[in-house]
Amino acid sequence: MKNWKTKLSDFLFLLPGSLIYLIFMVVPIVVCFYYSFTNWDGISPTYKFIGMKNFVNLMTDQAFWDSVKTTLILTAFNVIFVNVFGVLIAVWMDKKEKTYNLCKAVIFIPCVLSSVVVSFIWSYMTQGNGGVINEIIGFFGGGNVDFFASPFVTTLTVTMAISWAGLGFYVTVYDASLKTIPQDLYEAAQVDGASAFHKFFRITLPLLVPGLTISVIFSVINALRQYDFVKIMTPQTIETIAVNAVSRMTDYNMLGYSSAIVLVLFLFIGVVTAVQYLILKKMEVDY
Amino acid sequence: MKRRKKVSVISRIAALFITVIFALPLYIAVVNAFKPYEDIVMKPLAPPSAFTLQNFVSAWNSAGIPRLYLNSILITGCSLALLILVASMAAYIVARKNTKFYNGVYVFFLMGLMIPVQMILIPSIKTLAFFHLLRTMPGMILFNCAVYFSVSFFLYVEFFKTLPTSLEESAKIDGASRFVIFRSILLPLLKPCTSTVIIFSGMWIWNDFLPPLYILDAKTGSTITTGIYRAIGQYTTNWDIVFGAVMWASVPVVILYLCMQKQFRHGMVAGAVKG
Repeated sequence: MKNWKTKLSDFLFLLPGSLIYLIFMVVPIVVCFYYSFTNWDGISPTYKFIGMKNFVNLMTDQAFWDSVKTTLILTAFNVIFVNVFGVLIAVWMDKKEKTYNLCKAVIFIPCVLSSVVVSFIWSYMTQGNGGVINEIIGFFGGGNVDFFASPFVTTLTVTMAISWAGLGFYVTVYDASLKTIPQDLYEAAQVDGASAFHKFFRITLPLLVPGLTISVIFSVINALRQYDFVKIMTPQTIETIAVNAVSRMTDYNMLGYSSAIVLVLFLFIGVVTAVQYLILKKMEVDY
Repeated sequence: MKRRKKVSVISRIAALFITVIFALPLYIAVVNAFKPYEDIVMKPLAPPSAFTLQNFVSAWNSAGIPRLYLNSILITGCSLALLILVASMAAYIVARKNTKFYNGVYVFFLMGLMIPVQMILIPSIKTLAFFHLLRTMPGMILFNCAVYFSVSFFLYVEFFKTLPTSLEESAKIDGASRFVIFRSILLPLLKPCTSTVIIFSGMWIWNDFLPPLYILDAKTGSTITTGIYRAIGQYTTNWDIVFGAVMWASVPVVILYLCMQKQFRHGMVAGAVKG
């Protein structure tokens, strides 16, 4: 009797969460798999099961490959920028001092802004005529730069905005990670007469690898599924994989095809994450 | 020793210098919000010579800011309330059991962490339409709960594992029912974890762009982010309205952040790192 009652209350506690999770997470994932093998347009009542055809078409779809290229360029520059500067700033400002706390607080502000807001500010700053950045370049005697001249340059411009918005987050992750390094290691190195350069490469960096693992994996995942900034800052000129997938659905009514793209993106993120995890785990050391 | 002090001063000045350059876009957003249109276009870097609040007024009117605020507050508030309730309840059961079945449930619930939102968005639109919840606020709230369920559930499970079971057991002996134990003993103890969930998920839901753009009604259901995106899409070069809207959208969050810096930085990082 007692047992039966406990089981019932277990069930009731789990029920609401499970229902929401099943209906709006698990079912859509399954449905996405299913759609990717159909030619459904999302509107008409009938559709056909077409096997792997969507994936075969994807192989020769120029717009898709362009979006892959854009996504990879964006990811490479974004991940390098936020992690290199994230480590440098966190190490540099790793002292309990008012100035550094102020700096870190300011660097975090863009993280609480929405992507729409950041995109607008950067669109304004990177304007061709009378944009702030051009104004500054002009002040130092440079010529007018077109930040949206080619797809490649546009990608770099957007990457700059994304990196600016995200930097504070990574500084905070590295900052928290630095706090876990035991101070006596530095004291011992001090006694041995190690230089600051040596301390950074022999102590800080190796012991920062767990933080690095988290941070690199997180930044790669986020960059690979980037949508907002590209959509808002560059109307129609460049596409990431995510933008491409959504526009296939909303502008071309190709729901089946769009599902196939998202599925490829998901599998790609999964593989990349697993590979990175294995590589970075190997780099971890114990002192 | 003297040399060290000098280095430290130089290092601090350099840090401030870098931060000032980094903060340039923020400066631009703030000063231009108070400038008339001609000055925004002609003198983007200058501080306001003729101080005006006109941009705030025009943005308020043309984007319909009150409506957007109301929508965003309702969606974020209700999503968080529901999310906290269902995630903490599910986590309570899963954290207290150590059977094969519940370990399976745990892994199953964490799967959601790996799913890009684009993957579930389009099928979810169909599902919501099926339940007649598309373009409604409850639909958006349920979708948000599903997206942030995994990370909140995970944070709660980890937190429950740090709580001793002795309190619950003594309450049980006193004859309290499980729901009473949960509500009056456990929920208050969960506060630190709940505040992390609120900051982490709350920030994401408040700033979300893609899901509300397609799930909510374009006319009546815009949130603060999708609303200013839609309003400005129509006047791309009306920078006076853009900067007014940018301020309306950002000031509440930035003030909240400045008041609770520690919680914000801890909350956002904990949510991401543990997830």
